[in-house]
Amino acid sequence: MTILDTAPAPSANRPSPRARRGWSPRRRRDFLVFLAFAAPNLLLIAVFTYLPLINNIYYSTLDWTLGSAEATVVGLGNYLTFFTSADAPRVLGTTALFTACTVGGSMLLGLLVALALNAKVRGTTFARAAVFAPYVLSGVGVGLVWLFIFDPGYGVLSWILRAFGATSPEWINDPQLALVMVIVVYVWKNLGYCAVVFLAGLQSLPGDVMEAAALDGAGGVRRFLAISLPLLSPTTFFLLITTMLSSLQAFDLIRIMTPLGNGTSTLIYEAYLQAFGAYNRAGYSAAISVVLFAILLLVTVLQLRFVEKKVHYA
Amino acid sequence: MNQPASNQHLLRRQFLGLSTAVAVGAALAACGGPSTSGGSTAQAAADVDFSGVKPAASFDFWSTHPGKSQDVEKELIAKFQAKHPDIKVNLITGGADYEEIAQKFQTAQAAKSGLPALVVLSDVWWFRYYMNKSIIPMDGLLKQLDFKLDDFRETLVADYGYDGKQWAMPYARSTPLFYYNKDHFKAAGLPDRAPKTWAEFAEWAPKLKAASKARFAFMYPALAGYAGWTLQNNLWGEGGGWSKDWEITADSDANVKALQFAQDSVYKDGWAGVSSKDSADDFAAGIASATLSSTGSLVGVLKNAKFNVGVGFLPGGPASQSPVCPTGGAGLGIPAGVPKEQQLAAATFLKFISEPENTALFSAATGYMPTRKSADMSTVLAKTPQIKTAMDQLAVTRKQDNARVFLPGADQEIAKAAAAILTQKADVKASLGSLKGKLEDIYAKDVKPKLG
Repeated sequence: MTILDTAPAPSANRPSPRARRGWSPRRRRDFLVFLAFAAPNLLLIAVFTYLPLINNIYYSTLDWTLGSAEATVVGLGNYLTFFTSADAPRVLGTTALFTACTVGGSMLLGLLVALALNAKVRGTTFARAAVFAPYVLSGVGVGLVWLFIFDPGYGVLSWILRAFGATSPEWINDPQLALVMVIVVYVWKNLGYCAVVFLAGLQSLPGDVMEAAALDGAGGVRRFLAISLPLLSPTTFFLLITTMLSSLQAFDLIRIMTPLGNGTSTLIYEAYLQAFGAYNRAGYSAAISVVLFAILLLVTVLQLRFVEKKVHYA
Repeated sequence: MNQPASNQHLLRRQFLGLSTAVAVGAALAACGGPSTSGGSTAQAAADVDFSGVKPAASFDFWSTHPGKSQDVEKELIAKFQAKHPDIKVNLITGGADYEEIAQKFQTAQAAKSGLPALVVLSDVWWFRYYMNKSIIPMDGLLKQLDFKLDDFRETLVADYGYDGKQWAMPYARSTPLFYYNKDHFKAAGLPDRAPKTWAEFAEWAPKLKAASKARFAFMYPALAGYAGWTLQNNLWGEGGGWSKDWEITADSDANVKALQFAQDSVYKDGWAGVSSKDSADDFAAGIASATLSSTGSLVGVLKNAKFNVGVGFLPGGPASQSPVCPTGGAGLGIPAGVPKEQQLAAATFLKFISEPENTALFSAATGYMPTRKSADMSTVLAKTPQIKTAMDQLAVTRKQDNARVFLPGADQEIAKAAAAILTQKADVKASLGSLKGKLEDIYAKDVKPKLG
């Protein structure tokens, strides 16, 4: 937005009291134009983002059974119950493990795939599309297909294992293996996104620097570690934030593949289970959602404050 | 973007002002939701009698179309409207399963708008609606419409009774059934019938495994959603149960014995497996020689299995051979919070679809049990004679344990404990002890305070 106000500012930072009180007609008009453009969006964000958020914080202070017309105010009681129950270490631990494995897995494999796709060989366009395709597929569909693959009774994987004389592990019923299964599928679905973003980063690296390093005798691995990786840090940083936020909010695969959440109950799934899935504890679930919100906020702020300092912008 | 500092400041101030206004507005709006002042009139209104009330011209009926019943539901509605042209029934898909419709119904309750006048409610959900005062007792409506219950199958009606009142009526009702592969039984030289007890089946199992090429002699039903339901059969046979009224008895000696038997069948003796998704599918695919599954799966199993399918009553145990079969499935309830005229119109429809010929029609299309004793099932039985076994078993069904059907989330906790015992070889006594604690916690927190 360009503002063509030529009124001189008395100081660099503070407007004069007169300037604050009385607006020139042009400035007022500009502000009305700003409102005309921004107000509908602000209103939508307020109604559909901030209002539910504030409502949710309010509900988290209630002992409220979903569907009931009555509730009791319990203050921070729901938070206290969550943090002093056996739920907290289990759910927070599962969330941390799921996030670390899915973020690490998708980024590492995504980078390797991007390096492979960056090679100047035939068929990379097709390979790029194939790698990216799972990312745009519906999570529900992906979950159902992978359930069929993992099914210990008649799944494809059990059939392969049987051909080698092995029996299939209890992927769905065993809580630890269920978490492994969901992580594998989540990484498979999301590594295409990391690969494509890394690939864009790799292709924008300065060719002359690479050439100079090659002339100086730096090998492929050295060039990757000393030049590509540091120069890719803005991309890595961007992916770290986005994949971490989406991992912390992963829902569809967990819901479809492990409806009980046995071993796979991350914060967001526990919030769902507590309110809608089984227990109808709407207030308690709202408190868990607020905890998730606080973690997401903290992760983002920490990343912006500390991790960004290590990023090399070209 | 280049602009004078004063302008930036003004815009920022305006923006902050606007944001504050929005935040204040939102905070004020946050005062909506449930009432925190205590006291509700929902229940008081529910007890008002319906004399003098005229049925509404139309009402919404939320269904999950259990047993792929959408077509037969439409047929029943068309029949009803031919008889009652002044009442229009709007059939609405409320969800794909009992959980989805429950979520939608509870959301509508919370929003206090868009409620149906008739809703499908499953065995594990209706009690929560009772506790939340989301459904009305049917007694006033039954009286007003001269809707008699004496021809209904008693256990199916009794399932929805609490506190001396009737809270729903049976609709898509099922029980578990013992399915067996007749060809495997014949090859193993076993009699062509379901075992009378689990001990008898344990004797048969090694022969079955040796004679058939199936991986398992028996497949336990998938634990999510089913463990709490079908395992009642094993517990009751040993003289146990998840609870006795409101006393949680999950870790009783009888239960430990029953589930130790089940664990041994998987690990020690190796003749049983646990289904990951649907044991009826596993059975129809020939993976196991026998299984327990809902009567609602019968039509599908008969269609998909490439072998002769036998069905029988659920096996008993050393303490009890009958009744050891729980009821299940869904009923229909009338929500509070909709006008009495709509409630009466919905009850009129409910009475109509519960008539013997209509419950027989619904049963024929879905495989669910007819709710009336006088329903003429001859056409259905001529086509699918196996349904006779399921109907006969209704006479020896038992009301489910409170802990399984009345405690919110108990089914999930039972399923997790069963998964630990049957798929991770966890210590039976310790797992059931921990389950007992969780169920008692749910009762104390979420149920007892609401029972008054």
